[in-house]
Amino acid sequence: MVDKNDIQEYIKHLPPTPEILNQTLLYLNTNDLAKAAQTAKKDRALSSYIKSLVNKPIYGFKSEITNIAQAFSILGLGLAKQSLYNYSLSLLLPDRWRVFTINKALFYDLQASLSVDWHKILQYLDVDDSDIETAIILAPASVIICESLFQDHIQEVNLLKSSHNLSYNEILYRLTSLDLFDISARIAKLWGMSKASQELIVAFKKASEQPQINILAKWMYLLLFFEFSKPDFVKAGLNDFIEFKPDYVSDVYEEFAKLMDIS
Amino acid sequence: MRAVIKNNIGIFTPQGFLDGNNTQAFFTLDDIKTTEHLKVEMLLVSLKKVIFFNKNGIDTFVQFLLKMRLKNHIIVGFCDYNDKKYIAINSFYQDKLTFSLFKTFEIASLFCSSFNAQGKTVLLYHKDPSQRSAMAIELFERGHNPIISQTKDDFRQKQQNAAKYDFIIEDTYLNILGQRIATKVKGNAIIYTISGFLDAEIIENFDITYHNSSLHVGFRLFIFDAYKVISINIHALRFFTKLSTSAAEYDAVICFAGMSFEKTPVKFQEELEDSGILFFDSIDMALKENQEVAKLSKGTTSTSAKKSLNRVVVQRLPEFINAVITTVEMMTNIKAVKKTVNIQPITIDKHEGELLSSSIGFYGAIDGILVLVFPISLAKRSCELLIGENTDNLEDILDALAEFVNIIGGRIKTLLRDYDLDIDITLPRTYANTTNLQSTVENKKGVQANLSFDNSDFIFFLTR
Repeated sequence: MVDKNDIQEYIKHLPPTPEILNQTLLYLNTNDLAKAAQTAKKDRALSSYIKSLVNKPIYGFKSEITNIAQAFSILGLGLAKQSLYNYSLSLLLPDRWRVFTINKALFYDLQASLSVDWHKILQYLDVDDSDIETAIILAPASVIICESLFQDHIQEVNLLKSSHNLSYNEILYRLTSLDLFDISARIAKLWGMSKASQELIVAFKKASEQPQINILAKWMYLLLFFEFSKPDFVKAGLNDFIEFKPDYVSDVYEEFAKLMDIS
Repeated sequence: MRAVIKNNIGIFTPQGFLDGNNTQAFFTLDDIKTTEHLKVEMLLVSLKKVIFFNKNGIDTFVQFLLKMRLKNHIIVGFCDYNDKKYIAINSFYQDKLTFSLFKTFEIASLFCSSFNAQGKTVLLYHKDPSQRSAMAIELFERGHNPIISQTKDDFRQKQQNAAKYDFIIEDTYLNILGQRIATKVKGNAIIYTISGFLDAEIIENFDITYHNSSLHVGFRLFIFDAYKVISINIHALRFFTKLSTSAAEYDAVICFAGMSFEKTPVKFQEELEDSGILFFDSIDMALKENQEVAKLSKGTTSTSAKKSLNRVVVQRLPEFINAVITTVEMMTNIKAVKKTVNIQPITIDKHEGELLSSSIGFYGAIDGILVLVFPISLAKRSCELLIGENTDNLEDILDALAEFVNIIGGRIKTLLRDYDLDIDITLPRTYANTTNLQSTVENKKGVQANLSFDNSDFIFFLTR
């Protein structure tokens, strides 16, 4: 089925981030939102993506955001950077989904929902770090990787899943010793994302030396399952694509439930 | 969401958050249909990976489970929860539970007839004395040694010596209303568990299709574990005599084990005996005595009921073999090399002890038995993905092999459905040595494909 070579091939064939996107990120990293917006405007697909993202109801803006400069200034540095990486991710979307019953619109909803809730969590935890804010894009990245690696083996994987309670992530790990988050971390490295982002996405299974990263990893993990428990994502088959371990997040759950108003 | 089957228990494992908004989304119409057709003894929802649920969330699952119970007469409920979740469920239903609760999946398995581990010492406590008794009786009937604590203090005290017990049961509730007659396979025999007052309802609760199919695929010994039967009325008597007459067509034997005739007219026993039913004090005695009977009847099949592998299967043979090959390839990441395909009785060259095998029967539009013979090293490698690690534990490997052949049975079922051929599959069997396997398929001609995976020989054998 899937082996290490398939993963290497997959990573090898990932498109590089577009030049305009890299330049925009450079300006954002120097906090120059105006120049970043001017650069982003040159790529019509990118600017249209950002405008449609920011106008989703979940962002809660009362009036329509019509230009990139306005979008970046409203989003702030962290969310603006995040939206650029989300755009990079959208370039990896498969033409046809076979593992998950999802489409482009639903995937964008997942990205938006994760972004907004992650922002809320970081505000609550008083974390003001654009690299950490950006890391959330790696969670939906793992969904795309899973789809891409397994879509030609869906029948075998489903049979395996029906006989044994294994998640896609566990199957991949048992076959290759790498899981979806290891691959997400490699993509993060390839795209020049921060070391903190790379560490955060794998801290679910391998504790980081930085205590703050480990705590944030728990919040991110819980958020991921909070989203994957929403009806549309359950229907799409995302609920069991990785294994959920409630014990891992038991110490942050009460606060999370309060923040997300779960009752 | 589909149930995964283990120890004849179907288990759903939702994850994350369950509330009234999302729980409907877990089941498609297809999932419901598939679940209805599962041949399981229990259907459970595991709460192990659920961090939050509310009444509405749980209620959707309860309604679904109750529907399945009504249709299939099986035990339904929840398992794998902590104290907090147990208290929450009880408070939602205010102690009027219409389903079972098992603290762990392993505890649920103890109440399942198909679970082969017996003789376990089980400490148990429930605040309700009738629950305590019901659980103890069920455990005792399944060959375990239940030790009941009458008070919570006594339970806590005994619990301190946890090493003395194989299992400790608390926060568990048994609701066994409407249960279908349980079935398990032991060696070459099929054992049905019956209890209470047997009347016309037995016709509804007995899975006659499964029974007939077991006859078709070669089972010749059927034992009714009747230790818990209180009495039999005339309708049940007629049912059993009819069953025995039809079994005689196949030279099959029907036995009753542990039946007491204290409250049943003795002439009923005579009538049952006249119809060919044998009576034994215990299942073990029935098994021992009938080893000879099984040998005598081995290989005979009723011609009137024969549905051969014949043309349909021969036409689909490349796909059958392919289903096996791709599954082994998937599990091992090793490419198969096809060596020979012949029609012959099964021929195994390797010395006994080096091989493990598994088989699964299928019945319906066509009947047959699929046998797979693995060298131990390949069996281990094939099952590594299921077990999650490399193991030398033979029991674990055989369990995984049973699941493995079940996967293949599922593939063949799907494959044949594409040609409008509906089949069901039996419980898988595994063999730690080739002697037992040979006695099952000896003298039976079938299609034998010899394959090789990384120089390990592998046998595919399909017979009827």
